[in-house]
Amino acid sequence: MTEAEQQVADAEDVWVFIEEHAGEVMNVSWELLAEGRTLADKIDEQLVAIVIGEDVDDVAEEAIQRGADRALVADDPVFEPYRADPYGTQFRHMVEEWNPSIVLIGGTHTGRDFAGRVAVPTWAGLTADVTKLDVDEDGLLQAKRPAFGGNVLATIVCEDHRPQMATVRAGVFEAAEPDPDREGEIEHVDVVVSEEETISEVIERVIGDTADITDADRIVAVGGGAEGDVSPAVELAEALDAELAASRKAVDEGWVEASRQVGQTGKTVRPELYVALGISGAIQHLEGMKDSRVVVAINDDPNAAIFEHADYGIVGDIFEIVPQLVEAIEAGAELQEVAQ
Amino acid sequence: MSNDWTIVVGVKQVPDSDEVTIDPDTGRLDRANAPAVLNTPDRNALEAALALRDEVGGEVIAISMGPPNAAEVLEESVAMGCDDAALITDRAFAGSDTWPTSYTLAEAVKYFDADVVVCGEETTDSSTGQVPPGIAAHNGWAQLTYVEELEPRPEENQLIAVRDVEGGHERVAADLPVVVAFAFGENEPRPASLHRKIYAENDFEPMELTAEDLGIDEDDVGLDASPTQVGGMDTVSPVDRKEQIVETPEELIEALAETEVFS
Repeated sequence: MTEAEQQVADAEDVWVFIEEHAGEVMNVSWELLAEGRTLADKIDEQLVAIVIGEDVDDVAEEAIQRGADRALVADDPVFEPYRADPYGTQFRHMVEEWNPSIVLIGGTHTGRDFAGRVAVPTWAGLTADVTKLDVDEDGLLQAKRPAFGGNVLATIVCEDHRPQMATVRAGVFEAAEPDPDREGEIEHVDVVVSEEETISEVIERVIGDTADITDADRIVAVGGGAEGDVSPAVELAEALDAELAASRKAVDEGWVEASRQVGQTGKTVRPELYVALGISGAIQHLEGMKDSRVVVAINDDPNAAIFEHADYGIVGDIFEIVPQLVEAIEAGAELQEVAQ
Repeated sequence: MSNDWTIVVGVKQVPDSDEVTIDPDTGRLDRANAPAVLNTPDRNALEAALALRDEVGGEVIAISMGPPNAAEVLEESVAMGCDDAALITDRAFAGSDTWPTSYTLAEAVKYFDADVVVCGEETTDSSTGQVPPGIAAHNGWAQLTYVEELEPRPEENQLIAVRDVEGGHERVAADLPVVVAFAFGENEPRPASLHRKIYAENDFEPMELTAEDLGIDEDDVGLDASPTQVGGMDTVSPVDRKEQIVETPEELIEALAETEVFS
């Protein structure tokens, strides 16, 4: 048996990276813990939480409560705030030491930033942006990811290398709930990086200045039909207590900031309500919003593709329809207040 | 050392995603008939690289890994203002996933002795975003991803970036050499001037580099060296929508009340 074959044969356990920033855990990590639990049970192996940061014992404890059998903790000031090089080097060291079979990382900017720094030196298979996971009885991970506009789901497998790594989209799985009675083992590991060896430095970090449309319950999105004036969308978003979003066209034209773009080159959203104003419905846009629960489209082109992907549509000019809609919503809200 | 930087930009030829259509009979995507174009986020990478050169001095070299016809996107890069361009092309590279692709590009940027490598955030055809960090990882270099602004510090041999992070921004200084993944749409790519266009189309030929030129062992690239394989493709049935057209805002609100999105 070659060394690589031995590595595949010996690999075991499902690892989940618990992403935290200054003690705050990203929800996607708890989502992955739930999915990781299912995979680990299927192949009868352990679920291991990987916790990297400073003073993160509470995070490790919570990971145990939310389903991990063990937590491996690398605790050091060098890990706060996050940087690709120390995280990558430490995680790689842990992978080489324990030879996990499966490694799941949230598909956040952080996860996507350092995953390659682990996968490359360990010659691991890394699948990006996974939305569905399964494992067969031999422990072969089936990582599914949307391809080409999202109406095709590609299954990516990694037969000859370990670990089988995946970055997984946020919001796809339900988060694991904590059980305070659950017990597990917390192990502190050797920290193999030091501040002197790092090749980057975080000068400042400001959180809270960027809209995160991925968590919004309601979204009003605007497209080319706005022709430079997005005020109807802004007003409707206000009336509905929704986040403003946009198609690529509206972002390319500079009407709306890039962090609010929905679609293949933007963000994936799954709100309860998605209102598309003056959006034609290109597949790249649909890819980003198709999991919304209820979709409403307003567009003056009755043949716009968006109507085929909407629950309710109004054919008409957004500059006429939206003010009426805002008025009707506000009138309804007043009625409700009176009724209460 | 000299303050002039060698800046290498990675560009890719992809099917024009605006022209990819859905076959109404099979529900499958028809990409075969889509024309090949420069990956849109790479325009932002090119602009970022050219702007760095304008500030620091030095040269910008565009590179692309692909079949011979990928030379077109290199011509476009030269028309936009790149000083030179190279096509990394070899049958040995066929079937490479992101591991051997980033390895090949890592060797190519070392070949050019790059101080800074700039790539687009991701490609519109495979959307993994894995190649820029992969290049950095193969070479043990620093990386800056999701970058919205760059600030060169040649006297300190550093590049500072404003990065988008979940819920906010950070400013990070990285030691050279560094790999940058520039965020889509975060700058205004300059148009190609007429004389550069004429030069790129008529007088310019990108150099070609093979695995051998880069000192790459053929066993380390291509399909066999790729840890991941495509195991299958499933068509996803689109979510069933009501597709109900209503006439007035009031009717819409009534309909929405039933769906309980206004709870």
